[in-house]
Amino acid sequence: MKPTLDAFVLLSGALFAVGFLGVLVRRNTLVIFMCLELMLVAATLALVAFSRFNGTGDGDVFVFFILTVAAAEVAVGLAIIVALFRTRQTIQVDRLNSLRR
Amino acid sequence: MTPLDTALLVLLAPLASAAVITLLLARRGSAASALSVLAAAIVAAGSLSLAFGGGRFSGSVEWLRFGNFAISLGFRYDDLAALMLAIVAVVGLCVHVFSLGYMHDEPAKARYFGGLSIFMFSMIGIVLADNLFMMFIFWELVGFSSYFLINHWRERKSASDASKKAFIVNRVGDFGFLLGIILCYWANGTVGLGELGAAHAAGTLAYSRLIPLLLFCGAVGKSAQLPLQVWLPDAMEGPTPVSALIHAATMVAAGIYMLCRISVLMVPQALLVIAWVGTLTALYAALCAVTQRDIKKVLAYSTLSQLGYMVAAFGLGSAGAAMFHLTTHAFFKALLFLGSGSVILGCHHEQDIFRMGGLRTRMPLTFWTFTVAVAAIVGLPGLAGFFSKDAILALAYDNNPAVFALLALTAILTAFYMLRLWKIVFLGNPRSEAAGHAREAGISVTAPLVLLAVLSAIGGYRGAYPRGFEGILSQVPEAGGATHAVVLGASLFVLAAGAAAALAFYATDGTDALETRLPGVFGFLSSLRTSFDTAYDAYVSKVQQRGALILNFIDVVGLAGVVVRGVGGAAEVVSSGLRALHTGRLGNYVYWFLFGVAVLWAYAAGIL
Amino acid sequence: MEPFAFTCLCVLALAFALGVVLSKNAVNGAMCLLLCLAAIAGLFIELHAYLLAFILVLVYAGAVVALFLFIVMLLDMQGGQPWRFRGMQALAGFVAAALLVAGLDTIAVRGQLGSGPPAPGEVGSSLKLYAYPLFTTYLLPVQVMGFLLLIAMLGVIVLSRRTGEADGPK
Repeated sequence: MKPTLDAFVLLSGALFAVGFLGVLVRRNTLVIFMCLELMLVAATLALVAFSRFNGTGDGDVFVFFILTVAAAEVAVGLAIIVALFRTRQTIQVDRLNSLRR
Repeated sequence: MTPLDTALLVLLAPLASAAVITLLLARRGSAASALSVLAAAIVAAGSLSLAFGGGRFSGSVEWLRFGNFAISLGFRYDDLAALMLAIVAVVGLCVHVFSLGYMHDEPAKARYFGGLSIFMFSMIGIVLADNLFMMFIFWELVGFSSYFLINHWRERKSASDASKKAFIVNRVGDFGFLLGIILCYWANGTVGLGELGAAHAAGTLAYSRLIPLLLFCGAVGKSAQLPLQVWLPDAMEGPTPVSALIHAATMVAAGIYMLCRISVLMVPQALLVIAWVGTLTALYAALCAVTQRDIKKVLAYSTLSQLGYMVAAFGLGSAGAAMFHLTTHAFFKALLFLGSGSVILGCHHEQDIFRMGGLRTRMPLTFWTFTVAVAAIVGLPGLAGFFSKDAILALAYDNNPAVFALLALTAILTAFYMLRLWKIVFLGNPRSEAAGHAREAGISVTAPLVLLAVLSAIGGYRGAYPRGFEGILSQVPEAGGATHAVVLGASLFVLAAGAAAALAFYATDGTDALETRLPGVFGFLSSLRTSFDTAYDAYVSKVQQRGALILNFIDVVGLAGVVVRGVGGAAEVVSSGLRALHTGRLGNYVYWFLFGVAVLWAYAAGIL
Repeated sequence: MEPFAFTCLCVLALAFALGVVLSKNAVNGAMCLLLCLAAIAGLFIELHAYLLAFILVLVYAGAVVALFLFIVMLLDMQGGQPWRFRGMQALAGFVAAALLVAGLDTIAVRGQLGSGPPAPGEVGSSLKLYAYPLFTTYLLPVQVMGFLLLIAMLGVIVLSRRTGEADGPK
């Protein structure tokens, strides 16, 4: 497969879809979080591809921001999960349903 | 002080008195009574100085404005207003002073005097008003004052019922009045009396037949004409000075005054209707008065009858004659009521005339002043009532012979029942313990009686009135030649016939002679009295209640049920649908997220 | 040569991504994520974004995934519970993912993104080409990022405070 823009976008879309599948299907909160990160990385890949194929540096620069946001998000998200674990003693999503009805 | 300032003082002094009494003096009866009498004295002084001073003015200030529609408040002080204001002030002052003595031992004195003050304020407002909206505002205030004062002894169910009846019946009349005002405004663009007068002179008034009749509805309610006369006899539940002031001399005369104010709007067809309503009222009331036992009820029906005279006089075309009779009637009717108050007080609050008697020797001052009043009302030549009644009979003879005949018949009946009352109350022997011990009350009770007696005596002579009233008094018709002779003869005849019949027929033995000797006639006349009440009762219970029940049903089922709870129910359905979305499972939420993204996508791609 | 490398890296990335999703053990999943990130770093190099490749490995693979591993070790002590596909749910998930791919591909094809060569312009050659836009055109987002990090830090400190109970792992 030649590294054309189509291919990169398709790959990025596929990675995104896989991450989305993980979010839908897995029950472990941490694994869901990891799949979220996967989705972010897929978006990053698409950005860089576009930036390269358009000849501008904007996409590349934007990846910095995505990376920063991802890092902050992971930190805070994991802190929330740890706090949740402390009160609920579980991280299985189907048991964390006290907002039901 | 300019006349405008004096008029403002006259209008606002009673209001200030009522406000101070309500806010500060609600428990201090003597202070309240003193303040109220002081306000009445200021009013009297002010009005008389304005009347004798000769200044005539008008002025107004805009009060509310909604786009093109504006309500203004103003004074219109011409000869008519001067006369009415003087009457209200003088009779008001007499009643205030009388109340000092009559209500001396009354626990709720402050409330009573507050009510009197607010009544004076409202009545003066009607007199001075220069446009129909302002008059309507004060009209309603007067109705409220009447309700408040009739209901003075509010522990009595009869009193509270009577006050409600008065207010509601007045309201029915006021509905027509308001329709007339609105129609007048809509058709003519103004409700100012001056402007209406100018429009009439220019001949540009619209709806000229309908507006006067609608405005007359207000007079029918307030002045208790047929068919809205049912409230006045029941209004005697209030204290006697209240009956004297409000339901004899001033408030009920407000209807006549209003008619005179709008006389520029009258057309012959409306006048004919008005004349017949007045005549029939006079006759009906006179027939009902013959069978009454309560002294105040007799006087109430007499008031109704005389009001009918005034309305008939207006309907026959002369506002002057109506106002003249209003003036003399105010004097002698107030005197009659205050005299009856003195009698009631002397007999320890006994109101049944068949338990009185022999008061001629025991209460001489009251007896003589009452006699003057009776003579005035039956039309004894030389006293005030003779001249004013004569003027009306002359007017009727010239214009409408049928009305003349009925009014003459009513005059016979007037003489009949008044002499009946006079004989049974004062002559003969005392028929009860209380009557035997009757004594005159103090100076505050007797002084007003004397003053009013003097006025009743001299009130028929034009010279007794100041120059200022020329404008209205000149409109009183003077009968000429043959008419004069016929009318004079007729009035003397009716006086003699009625008086002689009463004096001969009734005995002073404590029974109603008519009841014992002609029970059929008595029964018929009594049923005449209750016929209107029965008819209204039947209408309300059969027709109006059913209509109200239907509306209630619509309200409960339709509005409360369908609309209010239906809307609530729809919201409940939607919300329970939305609640089902809260599964608490993360996966479901992510699916919804995807769904939202798909929708946005489709929208962005142009599919949606 | 280049297409071969590209194809390899693509396949590796996809494979490891599937590994993250399908692995039973959370630690295994984390390791698969690490390797996936490595593959993507390779793809970055392919796209001449060298600095970004390094940063991806340093920050993402080095810090974020490490943090993940820490937390997984901290919390997942019940032992890897076997994870199974549950019929309907899994099917729905697969369908959703497939639709997503189809949608993205449609955009790519319809958009006629072109299969031409990359445009000229050496974007990734020097650090200055990254730094300059960051401090001129994108200065505001940089400052906002500063705030974001500050707030995230504060949030983490608040969230990880003990509320007074004595239990819970140290």
